[in-house]
Amino acid sequence: MTREEILDELKSVFAPYTTNKEMLANINDQTDLITDLKINSANLVDIIIDAEAKYNIEIDYDSADKMINVGSCVDVIAEKLKQK
Amino acid sequence: MSGIGNDVVALLAIDVDRTIQYRFYSKIIVDSEKLIYDQSLASSLPFEYFVWLAWSIKESAYKCLQRYQHDLVFSPSNTLISEVNLPGIFHATPSEGIGFDGAPVCKAKVNIGHHQFYAITVLNKEFIFSIVSNNNNFADTYWGIKKIGSAEREDQSLEVRNLLFQKLHDLYPADQFRIEKSIFGFPVLLRNGTDSDIPVSFAHHDHFVGYAFVLGS
Repeated sequence: MTREEILDELKSVFAPYTTNKEMLANINDQTDLITDLKINSANLVDIIIDAEAKYNIEIDYDSADKMINVGSCVDVIAEKLKQK
Repeated sequence: MSGIGNDVVALLAIDVDRTIQYRFYSKIIVDSEKLIYDQSLASSLPFEYFVWLAWSIKESAYKCLQRYQHDLVFSPSNTLISEVNLPGIFHATPSEGIGFDGAPVCKAKVNIGHHQFYAITVLNKEFIFSIVSNNNNFADTYWGIKKIGSAEREDQSLEVRNLLFQKLHDLYPADQFRIEKSIFGFPVLLRNGTDSDIPVSFAHHDHFVGYAFVLGS
């Protein structure tokens, strides 16, 4: 999968946890999950678990810590997909 | 210098079934913390409460340190809780206070690397509200928590500021207070237009908002 495809698919992962639909439709690598998408930090683990299920990957502690903006989420998922 | 960080978890908003799955809780607590639960808390506290108690303490510790270490990344697995003292779940808890003398609270220690912090948590069946400081003396810590009608981010933000400003008005009726966000994301309390040097922290989740600040730091 390309980075663009992962980024596009991630919108469905973020969707249940954000009410900022306009920002969601226009996310880019710099979009911050908490400050831009207004996702409550308590849902960050939900997003990691949902991404694991969607891509059938396992996201370890160190990788999960990096997932604070869209670009880092795409990077982590792309790397885990490559390792499969 | 006293730092402060707080966090709130609305227990009606958590997904219990998901929380108790290893795949989920292992992203929040580590083996040593699971051992604390199994050995001393399992008989008095549902596991899902413990997981979110740990989350709220860890997030509070992150907020406390991030004020001084701006590039800090929130890492639950590297934020380690120890010495949890929890008398039980409480049916009635206060909604505000100065310090916690006599209040039914959970106490714990938490470390991020070599930084040690102290956590106090108010826990009942509706919410978990934690405050973390590098100072074990909470006598000058003011805190408040409120249930609000809306769970929208803008309303949470407005309500928690109003709650804080009401308390500050009670303390300093002649002064004007305002909140600005630092470029690093933490709130800065301005008193009559200048930085008050009063560390303050905000938290919100679902229908609960809460603040904490320290005077005389």
